[in-house]
Amino acid sequence: MTRLLGPLLISPALIVILLLFMVPLAASVIGAFEVEGAYGLGNFTKAYDFYTQDIVFTAVIVGLSTALTGLLAIAIGGYLTLGENATAVAILRWLYRWPMFIPFIVVGQVLRTFLAKSGLFNSTLVAFGLLDPLTATSYLDWRGVVVAFVWKQTPFVALMVSGAMASLDRGTIEAARNLGASRLRILVEIVVPQVTTTLLVGLVLSFVTMMGVLSVPLMINAQAPTMITADIAFRLSTYRDYGVANALGLISLAISAVAAWFYLRVNMRQGR
Amino acid sequence: MSADAYLNLQKISAGYGRTQVLQDIDLAIGKGEFVALLGASGCGKTTLLRTIAGFALPSAGSVRVGDRDVTRLPPDKRGMAMVFQSYALWPHMTAARNIGYGLRLKGWRREAIATRVAEMEALLGLGGLSGRKPSELSGGQRQRVALGRALAVDPDILLLDEPLSNLDARIRLTVRHEIRALQQRLGITTIHVTHDREEAMVMADRIVILDKGRIAQLGTPEAIYTRPASAFVAAFMGAENVVHLDGACSGHRVDIAPGPLNKAASLTLDRPAPPSGKLEARFRSERLQLRRLAAPSSDTGTAIELIGRVEAVVYPGGEWRHTVRIGESSVLVDGPEALPPDTDVIVRVPTTSLFLFAASAALPIGSPSAADDRSPVRDRLTA
Repeated sequence: MTRLLGPLLISPALIVILLLFMVPLAASVIGAFEVEGAYGLGNFTKAYDFYTQDIVFTAVIVGLSTALTGLLAIAIGGYLTLGENATAVAILRWLYRWPMFIPFIVVGQVLRTFLAKSGLFNSTLVAFGLLDPLTATSYLDWRGVVVAFVWKQTPFVALMVSGAMASLDRGTIEAARNLGASRLRILVEIVVPQVTTTLLVGLVLSFVTMMGVLSVPLMINAQAPTMITADIAFRLSTYRDYGVANALGLISLAISAVAAWFYLRVNMRQGR
Repeated sequence: MSADAYLNLQKISAGYGRTQVLQDIDLAIGKGEFVALLGASGCGKTTLLRTIAGFALPSAGSVRVGDRDVTRLPPDKRGMAMVFQSYALWPHMTAARNIGYGLRLKGWRREAIATRVAEMEALLGLGGLSGRKPSELSGGQRQRVALGRALAVDPDILLLDEPLSNLDARIRLTVRHEIRALQQRLGITTIHVTHDREEAMVMADRIVILDKGRIAQLGTPEAIYTRPASAFVAAFMGAENVVHLDGACSGHRVDIAPGPLNKAASLTLDRPAPPSGKLEARFRSERLQLRRLAAPSSDTGTAIELIGRVEAVVYPGGEWRHTVRIGESSVLVDGPEALPPDTDVIVRVPTTSLFLFAASAALPIGSPSAADDRSPVRDRLTA
């Protein structure tokens, strides 16, 4: 009886995972290889023919956004850790987290009005005489997507990174200061190397999150080339083409897996 | 302030927020001198070291090195290098890169750095370990890498913040002598923070005893051990046995009135006696005589004789250590032979082993002082 109790207790959780996660995932994977009742690579050749440009676009956009997010998060975490102006540090600490609580769709909405041809960004530049109204262009293309992703994901990574930086042995920072290292050198050569693992976890999670965002490309970049998520939505809603949609989903998964593999590799090297 | 002092602290006060940690610290340290800052935790010794190093800004006073005022200079412009309590080695760099980092910051060429690092490794006995990360080194090796990192930049002053407290007891004893020998060889001015009395005694030329942010006494190890300036210093230097007596004092002479717990005595001290009245008598457990109450008495003139009863006896090695109850308090007395518990005894404290101070508060004779209640040694030995 007691031997059965254990499996019995975990069975509800197990069933939920099986039914709501494993089964649909398996169905999608199988579906990706299903072409009119038979198995084959038809969906993938179709996805390749139609969407190669979008796949590359997605990888580049998300990669670029991840890199920029990393740089900004290091800058914010670094200032919170090494900043000497207590007021500025307090203001930054209070300010930087806000975007975390704003959903992607609202970010998209906000940036639409901000980055449009006659949006707030351009009109501010015009008002300061930095931009000729006639040459003003809209930023609602790949640049808008990158801005939205970075704006939304930076606080999350910065939160993780600054937490890791705060828990460092202050002595390692002071020892470098004692020997004459500038704050920038301390950040690059002493602080960041000690928080690489945390930084990479944050960036991989951000990468995967951004790979799955539909609202931002739909609202900011509703043109070709666009992101894989928009293509999947299009295949499903317009053609009810589950096969190609599943194939595109698997391709997204493969791109995310590259990020995860990269993370694991660095993690292993650190552990050695 | 002595004219030949190399590092001069004048009227240093410092604190965190509203808490005043250091008050009016005056200290002059000669070139090549090894000075230990000794005190219990919270006495301000680390704050004083950080103020000297430039990590904390004093609220008043000045720090001078030679004829330069460095009070407001950043830590790297003072010609000082610090070894941290946690060592603070950079975990992502090898031992060699840790040691050479300061030179890299100074813009030395790669070959020159390699030569200097090899020199440091040879000096500190780190040969063959240069490629290892700190996590692959033992505690003692890490400590030496931290020392090498500080010494590589050839500082004028070396600051050590409890560098031995993370080592296990046996290694600590050898590292003490290694650091002292190294300091002598290099002739480098060194300030060493510690809470370990013996460590300060064997390493330093002079000891600064800090109490509640002030200097309680400053002197050579021998002077502080044999001539403590206050009851606090005497207790800190191991004279934890305390009894309260009535005495009439004049000049170097002290006449102790007889009481239920002590015999009459008249002593001649080698220093001026405290004012007449209630006296706090402090002494260590060693260099005393313990005899049965019934045993014949010798001359009493040069010693205080206390009447008590043995409560317990243990053997910590060397001599037998007796816990002797004297009125309300108890004292520890070492003797060559064990006297069984419940023996009535006389504890004879020779003038040379005795420290007399004016009693700080109006305590009844023979009552234990607050300091004794907190003594960990006593707890262990009487438990």
